[in-house]
Amino acid sequence: MTNVLSRPALVAVVGVLGFLVAVSFNTTQRFAEARPERATDLVDVVRDLEEQRSELQDRLEELRAEMDSLERDAADDSGVRESYSRELAVARQAAGMSGLLGPGVEVVLGDGSEVAAGTDPNDYLIHDTDIAAVVNALFIGGAEAIDINGERVVATTPIRCAGTTILVNNARLGSPYTIRAIGDPHALEQAILGDPVASLLFTTYKTQFGLQASVKQAEEQTVAPYRGSFRPQFVTSAQEGGS
Amino acid sequence: MLVLLLALALGVTLGLLTNISVPADMLTYLGVSVLAAIDACLGGVKASLEHTFDDKVFVSGFLTNTLMAAFIVFVGDRIGVRELYLAAVVAFGLRVFDNLGTVRQLLFARWGWE
Repeated sequence: MTNVLSRPALVAVVGVLGFLVAVSFNTTQRFAEARPERATDLVDVVRDLEEQRSELQDRLEELRAEMDSLERDAADDSGVRESYSRELAVARQAAGMSGLLGPGVEVVLGDGSEVAAGTDPNDYLIHDTDIAAVVNALFIGGAEAIDINGERVVATTPIRCAGTTILVNNARLGSPYTIRAIGDPHALEQAILGDPVASLLFTTYKTQFGLQASVKQAEEQTVAPYRGSFRPQFVTSAQEGGS
Repeated sequence: MLVLLLALALGVTLGLLTNISVPADMLTYLGVSVLAAIDACLGGVKASLEHTFDDKVFVSGFLTNTLMAAFIVFVGDRIGVRELYLAAVVAFGLRVFDNLGTVRQLLFARWGWE
């Protein structure tokens, strides 16, 4: 019997069969590894990192407060440094590092509640572009400081879409979004309602898709300080010795 | 018989050791080619037992069947009828069981169990 079956061609094809079976096994094995466990792992990693970041943020705030008081002490000690200290305060305010108080407007934007059959559910959500349009309109109206759900808008602030949330300063924000701006309340409101893009939120989109959208003038309100960090990797001062 | 089992084991070992895997959209091709190989092997065993084994017929049959099967899968992918590969699966499947039955009977005859 051995002789009858020992055809080289047959033996070779049987070997190929074994090889193919092994390759199939490898492939299914790889898919089993790649699928759900990895996704949950990544979610865990993100959650850990977010936790870590909020801890670090608290620490950063502590250190900044400490630095503030040290600077104040130093300024008290010697009158020479008083002007320097004042200059520093102005610079900080310009950079968005201090919480601010003043008149302005409060804009609230929220997702629509009911999606009518046969329509695009995306139409019923507030998007990053909507927030960006409102922020831009506020700056056009002369806003001096803006925060979104307590995230201060500074020079390096991105506003972008991240799944079902919106990222501002790397913080994930969910609906409803409260945008507070300091400036001339009347001018700010006019700027929003007069902006070709932002105004749609308060007219067409609001009535058609049931979005929450309101602008309220305020005599006095607070805008949160920037709580993130500055980690310049590429910049150096353009001024000689100007650090 | 022993030689065939050894060849099978060698193929499996080689595949596992090299740890080759294919991308997801190639899985259908792999499945069909595994079936084609099973079909060819059983066909070869049957022909050997019947003493009608011919290298040329065997190798050319294996190659053309595999290529045709791959072509059917490819065409199915292209015209949007992914289920077209079922044609190859059914054809190979029927032949596999057909040949298996014949091989069984031939082996019985050989071992004198009739």
